[in-house]
Amino acid sequence: MALLEVKELTKNFGGLMANDHIDLQVNEGEIVGLIGPNGAGKTTLFNCIAGFYPASGGKVFFKGEDITGLLSNEVCLKGIARTFQIVRVFKDLPVLDNIMVGAFNRTHSAAHARKKALEVLEFCGLMGKKNMLAGGLTIANKKRLEVAKAFATGPTLLMLDEAMAGLNQTETAEAVELVKKIRKSGVTVLLVEHVMEVVMPISNRVVVLDYGRKIAEDAPERVINNDEVIKAYLGDKYHASRRAH
Amino acid sequence: MGTDKNRYIWLGIGAVIFLLYPLIFTLPFPRHLMIMIFLYATLGLAWNMIGGYAGQISLGHTLFFGIGAYTSTLLLMKLWVSPWVGMLAGGAISIGVSLIIGYPCFKLAGHYFAIATIAIAEIAQVWMLNWDWAGAAVGLTLPLLPESLINLEFHSSKAPYYYIAFGLLILALLATFWIDRSKLGYYFKAIKGDLEAARSLGIHVTKYKFYALALSAFFTSICGSFYAQYVLFIDPDSVFPLMLSIIPCLIATLGGVGTIWGPVIGSFILIPISEFTRIYLGGGGKGTDLILYGLLIIIISVYQPFGLIGLIRRLRKKEAA
Amino acid sequence: MLTSEIIWQTILSGLLMGCIYALVAIGLCLIWGLMEIVNFAHGEFLMLAMFTSFWGFSLFHLDPLLSLPFCMIVLFLIGVATYYIIIKKIIKAPFLAQILSTFGLGIFLRYLAQFMFSPDFRTIKNPILSGNVYLGGISIGIPQLVASLVCIATFIFLYWFINRTEVGFALLATSEDREAASLMGINSDKMFALGWGMGAACLGVAGALMSNFYYIFPEVGFNFALIAYVAVALGGFGSIVGSFVAGIIIGQVEFVSGLLLAPSFKYAFVFLIYLLVVFIRPQGLWGRY
Repeated sequence: MALLEVKELTKNFGGLMANDHIDLQVNEGEIVGLIGPNGAGKTTLFNCIAGFYPASGGKVFFKGEDITGLLSNEVCLKGIARTFQIVRVFKDLPVLDNIMVGAFNRTHSAAHARKKALEVLEFCGLMGKKNMLAGGLTIANKKRLEVAKAFATGPTLLMLDEAMAGLNQTETAEAVELVKKIRKSGVTVLLVEHVMEVVMPISNRVVVLDYGRKIAEDAPERVINNDEVIKAYLGDKYHASRRAH
Repeated sequence: MGTDKNRYIWLGIGAVIFLLYPLIFTLPFPRHLMIMIFLYATLGLAWNMIGGYAGQISLGHTLFFGIGAYTSTLLLMKLWVSPWVGMLAGGAISIGVSLIIGYPCFKLAGHYFAIATIAIAEIAQVWMLNWDWAGAAVGLTLPLLPESLINLEFHSSKAPYYYIAFGLLILALLATFWIDRSKLGYYFKAIKGDLEAARSLGIHVTKYKFYALALSAFFTSICGSFYAQYVLFIDPDSVFPLMLSIIPCLIATLGGVGTIWGPVIGSFILIPISEFTRIYLGGGGKGTDLILYGLLIIIISVYQPFGLIGLIRRLRKKEAA
Repeated sequence: MLTSEIIWQTILSGLLMGCIYALVAIGLCLIWGLMEIVNFAHGEFLMLAMFTSFWGFSLFHLDPLLSLPFCMIVLFLIGVATYYIIIKKIIKAPFLAQILSTFGLGIFLRYLAQFMFSPDFRTIKNPILSGNVYLGGISIGIPQLVASLVCIATFIFLYWFINRTEVGFALLATSEDREAASLMGINSDKMFALGWGMGAACLGVAGALMSNFYYIFPEVGFNFALIAYVAVALGGFGSIVGSFVAGIIIGQVEFVSGLLLAPSFKYAFVFLIYLLVVFIRPQGLWGRY
């Protein structure tokens, strides 16, 4: 049984069909990449799964349970955590407190939450910034904190929305290491990414969206050679010229 | 702020000073002043729970003050119930009311929420002005009972009132202390910081807003009951006025919203200023002290929105750097 | 005894007063819609306008009708000054600071007026606009009639200005998306100042008109401000048309409920409307979001 199963998910915004009957499966222990040109509907899909807003149609199953229509806090309690594309850290709180908020998802005790938060702090490489106000962090560290808070909620599935956007090469490499570490700790990962050098090496499978529809789903090395995918990213012209040789 | 041991020593010294205060200052005015400081500090701490920690700016808290005052007074006058029981009953009713108004109000954002709280408090005031059974505009004069702790009335000296007010303040401080360190406090701050982010981390936002409002309503209500027993006269103008919603908010802002000691510091600064300007400038019904109030509110909110504690923290950081 | 005359009289009075409420509401709406900051000193601005007109009359024998342009300009300047001295500093401040700062301004102005002018109620005696006309059994106060006509005219002018002139478009653009507007060369700082000036100027007009027939005293602004908040919420955030219509509706509700129920309940009723609107239809009648 798949960990996450999305069936025919549809989301309309007025006249705009942002997600069009999308099917998606994520199995336990996988890292699944979700890619597609801008406006393809990747974040919308995330938001529907995570309960940020309700889907217009279709169903979402998690661990066999129907979680369609649940609110984001209920979804988090079930074991799905998500990060936001534009980081939403609590900027007036210290880094440790930020993570503790996440940790409280699984406990009522402040002592337990602090202990868990310190572990996550260490795990994510933010120990040196423990007492710093989140608002004063660099972008790279803010993104790291964004992941840490979500990770501290004790999820079974972690959904990362462009966690590597805007990072330089070193920072990107560090972020990739973190994602690998997270999978190694037993958490399944579904990530949206634009940076191909990141997605391809670490994903078991890659799902491609374009104009709200799923156009491909395969192992990374086969997806990049998929005609539909190339057409979606580069347009017909390049597709035709590729065919030429 | 130094080691924990230092902190306890300072707290101990402070406690001793305040306990001895009425023995040193035996005239009514210094005692009255301190009682007012304690009362407003408690109101400030109460407001701080929903406004400072959870970030929901309520400007209608006088509603709960009035409910507390009228509940304990009416129970006393009609059913001869001890004011202490009345105080708890008022607190319970306030919690109930907070749940009822919270449900629709929490869906409102920012300014709309603030104005809605004002609206509700004003409607309550008009209601009380017209409710004859509860005294209407004339108000209620509490019966003079023999001086005793059970009756919560003291006539020969203000000292017992002083200690009770001090006790209420300690209670509110302990509650704030507990909130600050517990899951409640962290969740409140998360809701204040970024509501959607908070929700995505598993926080049932509406539930926690209710907790904040209920706690805040309870402590505000208790102050109302105490006030009724202290002044022995209440009417809609004295226990439901808009200024009574604003002052605790101002006190918390002056000292530092979302902190434990902020409202206390704010009260110790603002109330003496307000009392002294009222005595020296405000006499004659011109409300000159309120000109100063208005100016103070502007200055604090524009230049020091994080309050004195915020200022101290910033200065400390500069020193450390 | 409720005769049909009394009913029509009430309805008409409510209508006339409603036009004035409408203009007061529009002033608030301009600021609120432009920068999402509520001016809690709105009532006190109105009070200042009325006093300006009053002192113009007492000291310089300037009839309120003639001093209307002067009031408008004075209030415009007050609005702009408020923006540069206070508001500009709190645009990025925490929400609490924004609310408290204009609240504090309101208190400051109200009690300063009380100190300088005393709490006494003043009236302007025998201005140019005075007396009544009679229509059937109903008397219509000439000052109220002229006031409502001028308010309607002002509303039409503002509607034209915002929707048909370049500056108006700039204001609309700034309120929709500050950054995008600035990328197009619109100076949002100047737009905000203009918004505050215009919002206050509306009060200048309304105040000068009201000084013909209303009592003038330091606390006078409070009730009008309350009604303005309700009107803006009812009409819909950011919609001038909405605020105008809502102002008139509230005028009706206030007067009719004052007639049918006890007068002391009037304001409670207005507040009740506010609560019903925001709970049931948060975007108001014409709202943007």
